[in-house]
Amino acid sequence: MEKILEVKQVTKRFGKITVFNQVSLDLFQGEILAIVGENGAGKSTMMNILSGVYAAGEYEGEFFVRGKKCEFRSEHDAKEHGIEMVHQEISLHRDLSVAENLFLGVLPHQGPFIRWKEIYQEAQKYLDVVNLNVDPYEDVRNLSNSQQQLLSIAKALVCKPEIILLDEPTSALTESDARNLNQIIRNLVSQGISCIYISHRLDEVLEIADRIAVLRDGEMISIRSRAESTVDQIIGDMIGRPLGEMYNKQSAKLGEVIFEVEELKVPHPYILDKNIVENVSFNVRRGEILGLAGLVGAGRSESMCAVYGYMKKTSGKVKLEGREIKIQKPLDAISHGIGMVSEDRKGSGIIAPMTLRENMTIASLKDISKAGFLKKKKEEDLAQTFYDALHVRAGGIEDYIRNLSGGNQQKVVLSKWLMKDLKVLILDEPTRGVDVGAKIEIYNIIYRLAQKGVAIIFISSELNELLGVCDRMIVFGHGQIWGNIDRDSFSQETVMKAATCVEKYGI
Amino acid sequence: MERKKKNVFKSMLKTKELGILFILIILSILVEIANPIFLTYSNIMDVLRNTSYTLIIALGMTFVLIARGLDLSVGSILALSGLISAAAMFYFHLPIFAAVLLGLLCGALFGFFNALFIVKLKIPPMIATLGSLYMARGLVLVLTKGSPIYPLPDAFSQFGKGYVLGIPYIVLVAAVLALVGHVVLKHTTFGRKVYAIGGNPETAKFAGIDVNRITFSVYLLCSTLAALSGILTAARMGSGQPSVGDGTEMTVITAVIIGGVSLNGGAGTILGTVLGTVLMSVLSSGMNLVGVSAYWQKFVMGLIIIVAVGFDQYQRSQRKAA
Repeated sequence: MEKILEVKQVTKRFGKITVFNQVSLDLFQGEILAIVGENGAGKSTMMNILSGVYAAGEYEGEFFVRGKKCEFRSEHDAKEHGIEMVHQEISLHRDLSVAENLFLGVLPHQGPFIRWKEIYQEAQKYLDVVNLNVDPYEDVRNLSNSQQQLLSIAKALVCKPEIILLDEPTSALTESDARNLNQIIRNLVSQGISCIYISHRLDEVLEIADRIAVLRDGEMISIRSRAESTVDQIIGDMIGRPLGEMYNKQSAKLGEVIFEVEELKVPHPYILDKNIVENVSFNVRRGEILGLAGLVGAGRSESMCAVYGYMKKTSGKVKLEGREIKIQKPLDAISHGIGMVSEDRKGSGIIAPMTLRENMTIASLKDISKAGFLKKKKEEDLAQTFYDALHVRAGGIEDYIRNLSGGNQQKVVLSKWLMKDLKVLILDEPTRGVDVGAKIEIYNIIYRLAQKGVAIIFISSELNELLGVCDRMIVFGHGQIWGNIDRDSFSQETVMKAATCVEKYGI
Repeated sequence: MERKKKNVFKSMLKTKELGILFILIILSILVEIANPIFLTYSNIMDVLRNTSYTLIIALGMTFVLIARGLDLSVGSILALSGLISAAAMFYFHLPIFAAVLLGLLCGALFGFFNALFIVKLKIPPMIATLGSLYMARGLVLVLTKGSPIYPLPDAFSQFGKGYVLGIPYIVLVAAVLALVGHVVLKHTTFGRKVYAIGGNPETAKFAGIDVNRITFSVYLLCSTLAALSGILTAARMGSGQPSVGDGTEMTVITAVIIGGVSLNGGAGTILGTVLGTVLMSVLSSGMNLVGVSAYWQKFVMGLIIIVAVGFDQYQRSQRKAA
């Protein structure tokens, strides 16, 4: 087989932080190479370098396509060298038609005039390749998630690439759609296209990939053929230690039920008169860590945002210590002792132009002021205490938060709630984009909180993480709850059961 | 300890305020060399007085911009409020106190509507306050049919013309307001919330800050200060003039941005705004004294906006790349 892509010792740094260290790999013609790794392991960095998002000179090392050295200055350059990237987030124009989306950027034209007739004829050809049965004239807005994902791949094919980079193409798909997609990818590969495939689903990777590469903390740990790989081995390589050690679960004494959600309904953010969450009820006990499992879009974040008062709810009751409480806005939740760490750290977790100190105390302004005037010393002491306790690695509490790594930013975001006397803490993907070391520290912080009697609601897309950390788990799908599993029955079997539950009822 | 000291010094050098002060001093020396009238008592007082009218509004604008907003209506509000106060005294013979209050109320009302459009109707601040700019200016013309209202009571004019200890009243008013503004922005929970909603409104909301209420407050503050500046302008002129404040919003925004307040919100200081406003006045006075034609003065002001904002954006992009 011919070597089509050769990456030689590529290193990428952001400032002083090395996110990608001396990585080398080869890709052969007509092969699917899967890249797996934890969040923040460097998978996306790899894709961004290959697809020209990071221009030549922004990284060290080199890579070759068909023996020719590549120095891309833009994504356009990468396309010209036959490398197409399909992003994890679908980046189609929702108000343009299917055909327009396919040819956007490469619209066939004669002089200044676009040849619409040709476009719609050609479009059908590409839709057939990916088995997508939609009208080329249809607006993309009306397509389902999986149809959009297929369309994204068809769009990539328009430029006749030699290499396709797929970033978690199935993360938003149901099992059957994912299977269909993977079959299509197989077909493409058999026609000579090579493919780099990033995925979180190890079972899927073991099914589709010819070889599997594991990245951890920006280093290439192993590359094995499918025949030589097992799930345990891959996970071991991904986290660098046996599973148990990573989570090091410390149970707290469970108290009485402190927090209840009853028949919660939440309106869909984009679709009028439709609920994204239907009739969700659950409760949490003092000291309990309750995991919410499910796929992205299953309604977990929306449920908790509605409970917290950040989003509107259609109906539903929230009870704290047996009494119903009214939560209209986050401030109501906070004053009842409920805190929440959002899933989007950059978008709603940190305040970039502020210092660590200001970020930490932003929810505690009342505690550090008198009659509206801030007490500087008190604020500094408070921030310093948590800065030390959480081992934040930065230039001190007066450093700007934007200078910190994801893990350290997350510790600062957590400390915002640790300094409050909380009864309930909602954590939405608290370890997303955080390195393994910081993850372990964050788990330990959560255990300590639980031991203090705080009820924790823990949303995560990584099943392993939920199994490792939680006392109990409920499974979301389609805006409803499909399963409730106690830690005692967290076995490999129930893992599979929960997983199929998610797969089956996922969006 | 040694290292910490060094860091403090280093960060002082890096601050924008020091940079502006440096430019201000250089500029003053150059103008003084070209025309020694510049550093005379009467000219200094003139410059300070002109600065003060702008500064009073600029203080409010600083809060608005830090909260990631924008207020284009201040110039029109200045004119309308001055007129309302003048009309109250001239036509209805209201006592000065009541007339001033009425003018301020008019400003506050516009601020309230600005915030209402922005918060409730979700109109982008630039468009919402552009609408108010025209509406307020339109009301001015409706009320006056284009001719000024005068004379006004002597006691009122005294506010604009009077001195205490050789310093014009207005300069003292502006100085006190600047001091209060600084304390509020840096040392109160309100100020911290203003920075927070400008830095990241979503995070602020998650942390329990009432983003809408803070937004309301800053627009109310800004237009009330614009009204105050308008009333003091009317006092200085001894009349309610329909054409005052035309383009003031641009002078104010320029001064605030030169002073280092970020258009993207979340950053800026009152000290910077004060220096930025003084710099603008010195520049304007300097050009007059050196004999630059009025036409070229406009050009230079425009150039300065480009240079100041361009420099700010350049620094930002450098920081991102790092």
